[in-house]
Amino acid sequence: MEKYKISDSQLVSLYKNGSEEAFEMLLDRHKSRVFTTIYLIVKDKYEAEDLLQEVFIKAIRTIKEGRYNEEGKFLPWILRIAHNLAIDHFRKEKRNPTIVMEDGSSVFNTMQFAEGSFESDQIRQETHAKLKQLINELPEAQKEVLVMRHYMEMSFQEIAESTGVSINTALGRMRYALINLRKKMQQYNIAYDQNFYPR
Amino acid sequence: MIRTFTQDDLIRYVYHETTEAESKEIEQAMLFDAELEARYNEINGIKKRLDSAEQTPSDRVIANILDYSKSLNLLPNK
Repeated sequence: MEKYKISDSQLVSLYKNGSEEAFEMLLDRHKSRVFTTIYLIVKDKYEAEDLLQEVFIKAIRTIKEGRYNEEGKFLPWILRIAHNLAIDHFRKEKRNPTIVMEDGSSVFNTMQFAEGSFESDQIRQETHAKLKQLINELPEAQKEVLVMRHYMEMSFQEIAESTGVSINTALGRMRYALINLRKKMQQYNIAYDQNFYPR
Repeated sequence: MIRTFTQDDLIRYVYHETTEAESKEIEQAMLFDAELEARYNEINGIKKRLDSAEQTPSDRVIANILDYSKSLNLLPNK
């Protein structure tokens, strides 16, 4: 399902041959998805940005040193790196916890969001901040499947293999994640505004 | 006979994981089953909300990454 004129693999090839512009396009194309994936795991904007740099530095080195596997697809590959680094970081943080604000408000308030065409900036930011909070409140197993399926674009089969559960369990967790999100969104009145179902 | 579809089927459909035949069956079933259509709208609505929650990192971080990439070109090849 390639939605761009120049595919990711073409951009990677151009980059290998020295085109920094090609890399800039790749980065621009995928920065939000990779960043969101990391952020939803580590829950801190600044740590997520540090990890984002680490992820892309790894990718740059792998491509420039000729170790990139042409067979695979760029986005799932880089999201896998991001996920692994974020999980490692999260585990280390759990062992050595740092003090963070319980409501995360200062962090959320400084976030920048992908461009949208509706809602005023303020309302949109508040709604998105709330939604991120709701995602983070999901039970870990449900959040994991949600992040893997929605933001990392892994198939349910891949998620099942990666997390060591059956495909039905992965689907079930996704179902509960969506049900829980819907309930919470209703509770906070962000689910059924006029922009929720366009047209 | 129209098949009964579960929420898991709808989730697979929303995430484009149903086969072409299954997708057609689901679309057909939704024409006659308002409840199924409502459940589909609900799941699809949440999916759209999740899309809108995507965030962008700061320009500073992006500039750092681009600078790092360019800096490697300055290193002599072995």
